[in-house]
Amino acid sequence: MLKIWGRTNSSNVMKVLWLCEELGEKYERLDWGGQFGGNDDPKYRAMNPNGRVPTIEDNGNIIWESNSILRYLCTTRGNDKLYPKDPGKRTLVERWMDWQLANSGGAMTDLFFGLVRTPPEKRDAAKIAKALRESGDIWGIVERHLAQTGGPYLAGSDFTLADIPNGIHARRWFGYAIERPNLPHLKAWHDRIAERPGYKKYIGVPLS
Amino acid sequence: MLKIWGRATSANVMKVLWCCDELGERYERIDWAGPFGGNDDPKYRAMNPTGRVPTIEDAGNVIWESNTIIRYLCDTRHGEALYPTDPAKRSAVERWMDWQLAHLGGAVTPLFMGYVRTPAEKRNPAALEKARIEAIPVIQIAEDALAHQGTQYLAGNSLTIGDIPVAIFMRRWFAFPIERPRMPKLEAWFDRVKTRPGFVAHVAVPMV
Repeated sequence: MLKIWGRTNSSNVMKVLWLCEELGEKYERLDWGGQFGGNDDPKYRAMNPNGRVPTIEDNGNIIWESNSILRYLCTTRGNDKLYPKDPGKRTLVERWMDWQLANSGGAMTDLFFGLVRTPPEKRDAAKIAKALRESGDIWGIVERHLAQTGGPYLAGSDFTLADIPNGIHARRWFGYAIERPNLPHLKAWHDRIAERPGYKKYIGVPLS
Repeated sequence: MLKIWGRATSANVMKVLWCCDELGERYERIDWAGPFGGNDDPKYRAMNPTGRVPTIEDAGNVIWESNTIIRYLCDTRHGEALYPTDPAKRSAVERWMDWQLAHLGGAVTPLFMGYVRTPAEKRNPAALEKARIEAIPVIQIAEDALAHQGTQYLAGNSLTIGDIPVAIFMRRWFAFPIERPRMPKLEAWFDRVKTRPGFVAHVAVPMV
């Protein structure tokens, strides 16, 4: 059975759990990372030199980096819809996966850590305000893309891997107790994917 | 002919140029972004909503996100040696591309901005020292992986597109006027990758 190392409140672990739901894939998960520790465990680091979660083991293959795990699972489980085989169509999905990674540090992380992982009395209001402004600009890119293409999903007419990493971060964005700029296409896309069983089970949970 | 928008000084454009050389692929490149402007040009933004470089056009496909571009080029130009089709082997290449986007870039870029894009008299020495200290454990991950794997390259014993994005950022790391701890496997790997004609032509250029 597919084995997953990683705590359920990790955005990157959530990607894999959501995909498993989409694929109907059973798995065994070990709580790892964050409050459970293990990032510097020598045996874990031997598997994953980056020390982060998730890592998976499947048929003797050890895979790390969440987006690479998603690609691997779709390919090995024969799911062409979530991750098209046609090279041109594939790029319409992958670019949003890369885009999420490239934007995963910086403003998005500052906002999450500021609002969710820091008690109110310790928050840096100026840093959070800056992160909020910059995050709005970042999400504005998705807003304009969806407005231009009509979506309804990031890669076009079908739900794909493009929607999973970005959906997880959009859930955070829409979950913060803040004033957000009005991004109606982003909201509509988010609300649509929030109906999916995988989202409801693993993503639409309280932020921690 | 393959068309590439992007200034040759961009790390992300370099990935595409180096990959083209590895594939023996000819291209037409248009200077774009940086001193050439164009990021906010409405026609460019219609192609690439992020406004960044590179973007490519190939056989009617418009593709953006540099890692997505080089995966596409390998898949369409018989680049199996650089990007294996076996799913597990493929994931071993992809993880380094994801790692560069999510971790290495963020570690190296503050140093790049400080040492290359900021005149000496305007640098913040304390901030740069903090960035150097924080970068070391990130760089160490590549050293640890190479040591553990005993391989010549990041994903095995031949060059793959896993090495290309990492090498471009390591070229910066090794060039900064800073103290670096010895990392023998990484240094040996870097000595190997920097002999590639694609590296010599496109990466070993002065940093700007």
